[in-house]
Amino acid sequence: MPNATRNPPETGGGIDFGAALPGASGNETAAGRERIAVRNLNFYYGSHQVLFEVQETVHEHEILALIGPSGCGKSTFLRCLNRMNDTIPGSRLEGEVALDGRNIYGPGVDVIALRRRVGMIFQRSNPFPFTIAANVAYGLKVNGLARRRSEFEAVIERSLRAAGLWDEVKDRLDKPALSLSGGQQQRLCIARALAVEPEILLMDEPASALDPITTTRIEELAIELKARYSIVIVTHNLQQAARISDRTSFFLMGRVVETDATRKLFTNPSRQETEDYITGRFG
Amino acid sequence: MAAALAPISFPHPGRRALRRRLADFLGWGLCGLAFLLLGSATVWILVVIFLRGMSALHLNLLTQVTQGTAGGLLNAIEGTLVLALGGILLALPPGLATGIYLAEYDRGRLASIIRFLADVLVGVPSIVVGYFVYVAMVIAFGWGFSMAAGSVALAIIGLPYICRTSEMAIRQVPRSLRDAAFALGASDARVTFTISLPIALPGITTGILLALAIGVGETAPLIYTADWSNYLWTGHLTKEPIGYLTYVIYAFITQPFESAHALAYAAALLVTLFVLIIGVISRMLLVRSSRAL
Repeated sequence: MPNATRNPPETGGGIDFGAALPGASGNETAAGRERIAVRNLNFYYGSHQVLFEVQETVHEHEILALIGPSGCGKSTFLRCLNRMNDTIPGSRLEGEVALDGRNIYGPGVDVIALRRRVGMIFQRSNPFPFTIAANVAYGLKVNGLARRRSEFEAVIERSLRAAGLWDEVKDRLDKPALSLSGGQQQRLCIARALAVEPEILLMDEPASALDPITTTRIEELAIELKARYSIVIVTHNLQQAARISDRTSFFLMGRVVETDATRKLFTNPSRQETEDYITGRFG
Repeated sequence: MAAALAPISFPHPGRRALRRRLADFLGWGLCGLAFLLLGSATVWILVVIFLRGMSALHLNLLTQVTQGTAGGLLNAIEGTLVLALGGILLALPPGLATGIYLAEYDRGRLASIIRFLADVLVGVPSIVVGYFVYVAMVIAFGWGFSMAAGSVALAIIGLPYICRTSEMAIRQVPRSLRDAAFALGASDARVTFTISLPIALPGITTGILLALAIGVGETAPLIYTADWSNYLWTGHLTKEPIGYLTYVIYAFITQPFESAHALAYAAALLVTLFVLIIGVISRMLLVRSSRAL
């Protein structure tokens, strides 16, 4: 990429805030109580350390964006929050991730119950090769959250509505999920995650494989969902972080360089590395 | 960037091009020749079996049992199906369980040992398996020549195929789908039974069909374990010899009677048709499953 079109670093970030979506909170720290508190988190794949002494908090009704160059550990960090890294052999974690004050890596923690409370949306939409309805119902079945047909139907409709997909699929709930378009599939995955009524949503670059229009829909959706959930979103797209998040965390080489209100971080970062990154000096 | 897009100059066709064309011609020519050799052998076998088998085919074959070296093949057809299905039934639970274990649960040394053993088992000549079952079950356990002993032999032969194809099929289930299920709060077992197995089912079925086809086509292990019978199977698991099609091919073709030869060719045709049909079905399943993902 040519560097000439970028603003010089002295003027702050090159991010256009005029494009902020309606409903975005103006990027102030207007968030509620603290839900997740991460303290001194170190994470290793085998002997290779990927996260170093990470400190982070996630509040109620906020969108926290994680930005940083590829391989900086932001996805790994995200996956620490619902213990998805447990499934990776040879991985190891030190430190504490507290959800409502309780360490999720402590003894006697029910990982399955944890994952129901902390839902996840993946980078590439990954609907099961079942019907649309069966996709949304999967989490309910697994967690025994619904029994009667009417209960399932109610949750399926509610979740698909919340994901903004209901009107497009209500007449073909029994059709294969893979017959949907890419953006619809990703919204189906969001509906599937919402069906088990999580309290926190982790989104790992949920729109990176989608076209701009669908991306906008996903972003609007995230802002709508903020009213009921806390959202942590990993994104490569700085404009996206600026548009939708309340706070932003900048990761670099496994460390959190700084976390601040999004507007502050993008206009007046405290650290030189952050400024270099958001002005396009690297990454 | 623009500099890299400068037009590439093409040298005039010279001796290099000629050599390339010659190599191309030779390569294709040899491939064609190899194909012709293999293809003609296959076609020849099929044509002989079909011509001689068809002329021997009567409705009587399907309704009558064998009488000496004449009569029908009903007992052999029944026996082949019973033995092959018995073998699958015995091999499926341990084979599938091992496949699941290898694909999803073990990443350590035990898995590589099991994989090695499965590969060794594939390489063991089937007659050795037959002899082992003969010594162990037919003699030591006192089962006698029987459906049970024959099925055990076929199960041992089919086991590694079921195990390895199940493992492969489950491995091909995208990691992202398993992750999605885990993220929704599914346990390991839940993910195996609701995601991995249903999605891998066509591949697993292919392995089962492969083992079935091998079972239908086996001769040597059954000679040691099932022996042969002119009569229909009465349902006893032990101490009752049972007939099967490959025995007819093996034993009757060397008899000096036209009726015996006719039966042998008819049996060969039936076995071939059976294996072909199984092959086509498993191909269709594989194509369908690869389309689904």
